[in-house]
Amino acid sequence: MLDVRFPDGPPVPVDTLLDQVTAGGDLAVGDERVRDFLTGFGRRLLRPTLSRRHPELGSLGFFLRRSELQRTVQSLRGDHVRVPRGLVFHIPPANVDTVFVYSWALAALMGNRNVVRLSPRAGAVASTIVDTLLESLDGADPVVAATQRIVCYDRSDSITAALSSACDLRVIWGGDRTVDEIRKHPLTPHARDLTFPDRSSFAVVRSSAWLAAPPATRVAMAEGFVNDSYWFDQAACSSPRTVFWVGPRGECDAARADFTAHLSQAVTQRGWAVDAAMAVEKRVATYGMAADGSAGAIDFHGNALANVTLSTAVAAPRRWLGTGTFAHARLGSLAELVPLVGRRDQTMTHFGFSRAELLELAQVLAGRGVDRMVPFGDALSFHRVWDGVDLAAEFTRLVMVSADR
Amino acid sequence: MTVFTLSAAEREAALLPALTALTERHRLACEPYRRILDAIGAAGPYDRVAALPWLPVRLFKTHELRSVPEEQVFRVLTSSGTTGQRPSRIYLDREAAAAQPRMLAATLRAVLGERRMPMLIVDSRSVVRDPALSARGAGVLGMMNFGRDHTFALDEQGELDAEAVKGFLARHGAEPYLIFGFTYMAWLHLRELGMDLSQGVLVHSGGWKKLAEQSVDNPEYRRRLGEECGLRRIHNFYGMVEQIGTVFLEGPDGGGLYCPDFADVVIRDPDTWQEAPPGVPGLIEVVSTLPTSYPGHVLLTEDLGVVHGVDDGVWPGKRFSVLGRLPRAEARGCSDTYRQAAA
Repeated sequence: MLDVRFPDGPPVPVDTLLDQVTAGGDLAVGDERVRDFLTGFGRRLLRPTLSRRHPELGSLGFFLRRSELQRTVQSLRGDHVRVPRGLVFHIPPANVDTVFVYSWALAALMGNRNVVRLSPRAGAVASTIVDTLLESLDGADPVVAATQRIVCYDRSDSITAALSSACDLRVIWGGDRTVDEIRKHPLTPHARDLTFPDRSSFAVVRSSAWLAAPPATRVAMAEGFVNDSYWFDQAACSSPRTVFWVGPRGECDAARADFTAHLSQAVTQRGWAVDAAMAVEKRVATYGMAADGSAGAIDFHGNALANVTLSTAVAAPRRWLGTGTFAHARLGSLAELVPLVGRRDQTMTHFGFSRAELLELAQVLAGRGVDRMVPFGDALSFHRVWDGVDLAAEFTRLVMVSADR
Repeated sequence: MTVFTLSAAEREAALLPALTALTERHRLACEPYRRILDAIGAAGPYDRVAALPWLPVRLFKTHELRSVPEEQVFRVLTSSGTTGQRPSRIYLDREAAAAQPRMLAATLRAVLGERRMPMLIVDSRSVVRDPALSARGAGVLGMMNFGRDHTFALDEQGELDAEAVKGFLARHGAEPYLIFGFTYMAWLHLRELGMDLSQGVLVHSGGWKKLAEQSVDNPEYRRRLGEECGLRRIHNFYGMVEQIGTVFLEGPDGGGLYCPDFADVVIRDPDTWQEAPPGVPGLIEVVSTLPTSYPGHVLLTEDLGVVHGVDDGVWPGKRFSVLGRLPRAEARGCSDTYRQAAA
């Protein structure tokens, strides 16, 4: 049996759930009834009482504005007819509460029936989201409740197998292990997986640009970098772990020292602190890097901020080293980054480079890795193009129509 | 001859040069250790024991740290790895392997005396027979050196074997004898026994987690075992495989754990990493001169503790308690990466 969290209802066997959703009626790509529902939901998330308590819900509400939804639908116009995929089964990660909404909202907007598996371990924010969704059903077209389900079940291979064999698209967030685990359950031949495996991210700064930036810019950039990093304890796949400094040695050293001072101040001002367990975790991780020979120097600025000077840029760590642990390496030019990048690298937060330089880098990288290049402060902003995939497009199929001549 | 003789000042004077020399010895002999010291900028001279660079004890789970060439490794000790965690690996050469039981014996002599006593073990014989010896089994086996006529109080199913205990008491109950068990098991089974154990010397170790859940602290533990079993001589000890041979032993008064002359503790404030004054809890750093074949002479544990007093107990030096274990650091994040990293 599955607990049905949205819409409100009694627990049901998985077959019943699938029957209900299939019989729920048809939706179109960009369906107005779904759009109305999503904008209503987004508005509720933007209520100050909610967004002040959970800023991530504010970002989500912003993402669901009518104009934004409109833009998404319009961007998919083309020569062919877009149609929904059908039934989409979403497996979001347990530990980032808002991801499931982005994934589900886009799939619903594209006219799909959806079953979202919410982890029983999901946190308080997820409950708030579900409550707000339920509230938003008031006045919404019944088709929304009839075609969309958020369910909750403890580890059950039979339920996961049933949902997998029934869906047209399966969306797996939550990292390598989850992907491997879920993939044991076969899909029907026409269906496909959309997977979000473990990723890691880095930052790049042009040292001359940092040193030349006005004080206010440096403060703002440090604050943005702190948000990028500390919000999810630096364990988010988009949070930077290594900072590459581009420029001559002396300049990079000066820029890094100034950056560290700004960072330290921003961390203190924002009140980010780490507990004793995290402080020990950071010691274990950084001392371990030193023991391996990949860290030449380690310096601590209180427990909340630790810097590791990499002995070579190749040693850039992909794994999590504890909240507020940044590896640093110097590069002579942006081009030196290319051989260092791998498939696992997702987001490159940057400061001091022109759009042309970034576009060129993306071309030269040619798919080795890096799926997003965003300025400091935007690492965690969700975009419908994520991990190299246009999600909205991925949630649809194309019908090619050629009429009589 | 006892190893509980040095006052805090005498101990500091004895340990500082010995531990400084060990730091330099390991720096030369253990490349990963040298790299760590270089990276954190640790260099002598050190003006006190608390100024010596420490290693997080977990590094022995993640790295191979030894100061003797591979061919001189005589024994490799491993800790019990909790699920998903690699065990610690501790490398002993012949010399270190010989020193370790000798110093443990010297330490326990303070409460057990010179002669081996008859020994009652609050465990099953099977824990020492299992070919894949558990940490618990290794602990029992290690302690068995200190007793004779070993009698196991539990049967193979882990149930109390009252007949065996009765037989033991009939043979030895009139003279002092040693009882050894893990803290929680001794609590559970000795009280269940309901026999007069007033001639027994209970030595126990292994942690207070389960007892803390039942709100049983050390004074309560001593009081109840005294009332219900007549036990008057009870000694808890604290030690870890990463500093094998070194145990911190509860004094006869129950007033805390004491440090043998070749060891000490430093309680560190986890915010400032400075030494915390008596009465202020912090992370326990353990120092010992025994680790000569691996850089484990100054270790930051993940246990919380507090010093109650210095040179004010039945034995000289610091008097301290272990308060519990630091929880594992947890992170939010969008994948399960962090759990792999932590493993």
